[in-house]
Amino acid sequence: MRHSFDPASLRKTVLEMAYAGNAVHLGCAFSIIELLSCLYGRHMRYDKANAADPARDHLVLSKGHGVMAQYACLYELGWLDRTDIDRYFHDGSRLKGLSDAHVPGCEVTSGTLGHGLSVGVGLALAASRRKSGQKCYALVGDGEINEGPIWEAMLFAAHAKLDNLMVIVDANGFQAMGTTDEVMQLGDLGAKFAAFDFDVLTVDGHDREAISAAITDLEGRHNGRPKALVAKTVKGKGVSYMENVNAWHYSRLNPELYAQALRELEGASA
Amino acid sequence: MRAAFSAALVEAASRDERVVLLTGDHGYALFDEFRKRCPDQYINAGIAEQNMVGVAAGLAKAGFRPIVYGLSAFVPVRVLEQIKIDVCYEKLPVIFTGDGAGLVYSTLGTSHQSFEDIACLRGVPHIDIMSPCDAHELTACMSTALALESPVYMRMGKADLGAVHVQAPSLVRGELVRVQEGNAPVQLIATGSMVKAACALGAELGVPVWSAPWIKPLDAGQLSSLAAQSRAIVTLEEHSAAGGLGAAVLEAISETTPVPVLRIGVGERFSETCGSYAHAMREHGLDLASVRARVAPFVGKWKMS
Repeated sequence: MRHSFDPASLRKTVLEMAYAGNAVHLGCAFSIIELLSCLYGRHMRYDKANAADPARDHLVLSKGHGVMAQYACLYELGWLDRTDIDRYFHDGSRLKGLSDAHVPGCEVTSGTLGHGLSVGVGLALAASRRKSGQKCYALVGDGEINEGPIWEAMLFAAHAKLDNLMVIVDANGFQAMGTTDEVMQLGDLGAKFAAFDFDVLTVDGHDREAISAAITDLEGRHNGRPKALVAKTVKGKGVSYMENVNAWHYSRLNPELYAQALRELEGASA
Repeated sequence: MRAAFSAALVEAASRDERVVLLTGDHGYALFDEFRKRCPDQYINAGIAEQNMVGVAAGLAKAGFRPIVYGLSAFVPVRVLEQIKIDVCYEKLPVIFTGDGAGLVYSTLGTSHQSFEDIACLRGVPHIDIMSPCDAHELTACMSTALALESPVYMRMGKADLGAVHVQAPSLVRGELVRVQEGNAPVQLIATGSMVKAACALGAELGVPVWSAPWIKPLDAGQLSSLAAQSRAIVTLEEHSAAGGLGAAVLEAISETTPVPVLRIGVGERFSETCGSYAHAMREHGLDLASVRARVAPFVGKWKMS
């Protein structure tokens, strides 16, 4: 069966998980849905029958608090099952609120931020040394870029000429306690990546055609320069009362809000 | 000891192409031979230790066998979170070597002196902590570490104190190695740079001396049976007396065979003055005369009672 990774359907899975587990980080998961849909649906190479296939491309979810979006993709792939969704956060369940490398399909343990990108650089370096052709996509949050090791990793990636590494920034403009401008202004992120010798494109992070075109464009450049895709996104995308409302970093659903969100998402997928 | 380390690295990398050495721009001259013999397996990751450990984790996940070199003030202390999350949680086979441990950098001050590295790592699951006392023990430790399929921290302290062993000892994971016999009903257990001092004291006081190449794991069975044959134990380490070898020994015997334990190590203080290594050791009461002044009466008391 071919997987569509339909964004509305992925968001619905996220919503169901969050409701089942009374979980937070909904806004952080909803902003990366189209990015993950494109990566799993169109760009990454993996063996559907074997999440641990050593020849796979790697997706490193460095912004580990967006993990419900990845779980939704892994569920569609059959690497997670319905019980994982329905019993999210229940006693003894296996899926945590942050990316965890013990889960099939999750490459890194993150959530403490600024870790995943370096591990991704190591994976890209391993592939480059072996000339295996494997790619590594590292999804970082714009808030996460506050962390020092992100900049260490960028320096290293450029120095090691890792053109098989793509840093994808979920630039939703928010972090836990406010906008990125309020907390620690990032300025022109594209220019910063360019100054670190990355090839950079900026894209609407909810336009799948545009995302795919940009990824394909960047991947066609075998020039020894690592790649960066700055994806302009909307935190909470897809549910009207969550969009650009930073409270949905930490807010939880109640039955009324859950029902409303479900109606909106079912309307979107119809 | 540093020559033995260099030789062990060259041998490991020559034998196994998966071995890669990462350094955070440290190890001047130490890696000359390695770079000459195995240039493709040498990565200077720059002055960026956090990224270096993350990269090592990624390489290990992809099947490489990274050896990460740093000063022990930085590796493991500065990168403790990366070691915990990126390496130990996945039980990846990464060897960390922390050089210059203890008071080696006596003239450089607090930033480069490290007597908290063992304590920092003892609470992290899945990682072995090794602390060889001389070149022979280091060689044995390195080959054991390379054979393990899990993380290892190898602490390297003052390296030019001379040999304790006459040849590379055969090591069993977690076990102490007896380095000197004695008749007194007290055991001297030392690690790393303090084993030489322990041997000198042991000879004076007639006390058996043990080297602890491992701090973690530490064989509780062996320690308990030693304690059961003894009236007291003395531990010596160039590390904080809190959270290091002495603490590990106490924890191992406290439930089954508690005996009085005198822990010699660094106290609740940083270095206040600058000077030679010998000066720093005196400042912290770890020179032979200071240690003797504490150990001799303790041993005397338990010999008599």
